[in-house]
Amino acid sequence: MSTPAITTQGLTKTYASAFGRKKIEALRGIDIEVAQGEIVGILGPNGAGKTTLLKILLGIVSPTSGSATLMGRPIGEVEARRKLGYLPENHRFPPYLTARQTLDIYGRLSHLSADYRAKHIPLLVEQAGLASWIDVRVGKFSKGMMQRLGLAQALLNDPDILVLDEPTDGVDPVGRREIRDRLRNLKARGKTILINSHLLTEIELICDRVAIMNFGQIVRSGSVSEISTEGTGWRIQCRNLPNALDLSSYNAKREDLNTVPVPVPVPVPEKEIDTGQVSQDEVNLDPNVEKVIILDSGLTETLNALIDYLRANGINILSVERHRRSLEAGFLDIIDQQKAKS
Amino acid sequence: MKETDKSADLSRLAMKRALSGSLLLTFRELWAMRLTQGIVAVSTLAWLLLSFAMNLDVVEGSISALKIFGVASVPDEMVKDVATGEWVRQAISVDKFVIGISSFVFGAAYFLGTLLGLFATMPLIGGFLEQGRIDLLISKPLTRSRLLTGHLLGVLLTVLALATYLILGVWVAISIKTGLWHPIMLLSIPLIVIMFGVMYSVILSVTIVSRSSGLALILTYGLIFISAILAAHDQLEKVLSPSAKLIYRIFYHVFPNFVEVVMIQSQLLSGEAVSSWYPLFSSILFGSVIYGLGYFWFNRRDF
Repeated sequence: MSTPAITTQGLTKTYASAFGRKKIEALRGIDIEVAQGEIVGILGPNGAGKTTLLKILLGIVSPTSGSATLMGRPIGEVEARRKLGYLPENHRFPPYLTARQTLDIYGRLSHLSADYRAKHIPLLVEQAGLASWIDVRVGKFSKGMMQRLGLAQALLNDPDILVLDEPTDGVDPVGRREIRDRLRNLKARGKTILINSHLLTEIELICDRVAIMNFGQIVRSGSVSEISTEGTGWRIQCRNLPNALDLSSYNAKREDLNTVPVPVPVPVPEKEIDTGQVSQDEVNLDPNVEKVIILDSGLTETLNALIDYLRANGINILSVERHRRSLEAGFLDIIDQQKAKS
Repeated sequence: MKETDKSADLSRLAMKRALSGSLLLTFRELWAMRLTQGIVAVSTLAWLLLSFAMNLDVVEGSISALKIFGVASVPDEMVKDVATGEWVRQAISVDKFVIGISSFVFGAAYFLGTLLGLFATMPLIGGFLEQGRIDLLISKPLTRSRLLTGHLLGVLLTVLALATYLILGVWVAISIKTGLWHPIMLLSIPLIVIMFGVMYSVILSVTIVSRSSGLALILTYGLIFISAILAAHDQLEKVLSPSAKLIYRIFYHVFPNFVEVVMIQSQLLSGEAVSSWYPLFSSILFGSVIYGLGYFWFNRRDF
């Protein structure tokens, strides 16, 4: 079994104000393990402790207690950071440097040789889509361009572990897709990536696993699919479902029509439209109209009872599957549960 | 054994590379601030003036004629005639002229150069510690001490280069004009760099602790002002009460003696024996302690 890329044991961090009168517990016993080659997303509301966790791993903030390792080395060791790439949130490159000079200086700080820098800097700048800007001062760059340059900087030393704080912040949709593709390529090359982002759709598209933080603790972790389906009910796709059919006793509801595939339009006789005598139920009874029922309960007994009820009413059931929420909905549910508990 | 040596060499090379990155960052920032170019321009002007705008006639070791931009004047001084005991006007000696010019240039470089240099480098440490920049620098594989040393070396080497350019240029120009080569004048260069370094320790350390480079500059200028008061210790101690005198003495020994160091240079230039090196050494000690505190805080603080 290979060494985990990142481990933390009982990591805590308490910030104290001047003279220690006021204390803020930013981290309260974090235990995580990230395997090599994994892409893990750290999620949480503002002030949950995400950035503090990343900064402790990078040696920027020292933990109050606990320990952590990067590729088996304690985080305090300089060597632990040799094969590490980091893109901070709101990074500020000196505006008077050109893209080439910026990467050259950060390459030197990462102990890279002159030959390596001369060969790889133009390549990375090109991959970032900034080839024609390589000798332009970064003070003239837009936010998205700075972010691309920041990612190039993080990749300069061909890191084994990549820590990204809001990597797609300020980047346009095309740029975001490019960044996603690059991260997937890096994963294919066995790189470990830790991402902190507020854009949950991005996390959903890239990450293998997410850890949700709140009040300085990891309150849930698992795969994106686990978080999306956890505690949810069932999704039943059917035909011939009249609006009048009462589903309330099963705590089931019809899904918002916007989320259902658009049904094939049914030609309605002009005469009937003119008279206004066609009811919505009659339209829905058309065998081509598909409807979706969401059952909140995850119990199979309730599901079977509902299926029996639908079949007894002549409803044609097309499919039954676990209801999958967006990661954002799952995340919000978990955070709301936490709030309710606290 | 050979493998171990090779590995140690590679490690040293890598560390040098990292240090050079930190140094280069500081140099580029100073260059971008136009600070170096400005001082180089002023220095060039100073020694071009001395070289081309000033003409000297030296007769028997004294200045017989001095022309500045074609305007003639004879620098003279009042001396006591040994035979008659009366004060008479006499042409100034070349030695004294050289000492005068050198003292003026050193004084200007020392006071103006340090005050302006501190003002100009103040944003440098502020920018270095800025969020989004310092965290990225710290995440690189080098110790915090080495990172800070790279920054500090960058600043001090720039000051050394600028002081050398000015003083060496002036020294060469005066020496060619007068035919007198006093290498002692070049001692001004290390003195300027050392005392700038002492005062920069306050800028660096206070900014690290408080994250306010403005506060750091105010405190540094305050210390320079206090050092002017401390320089008058011979006169002031006579009129102070015993308790005030004690406080004054504590201040004198604790704080840098920035102004008093000028006297050391004056004595060196005029060929006199230096009455006391204490102001210089106590200032160096002050700077070392403040740097120590700054490094200690930089190593342990969260960014």
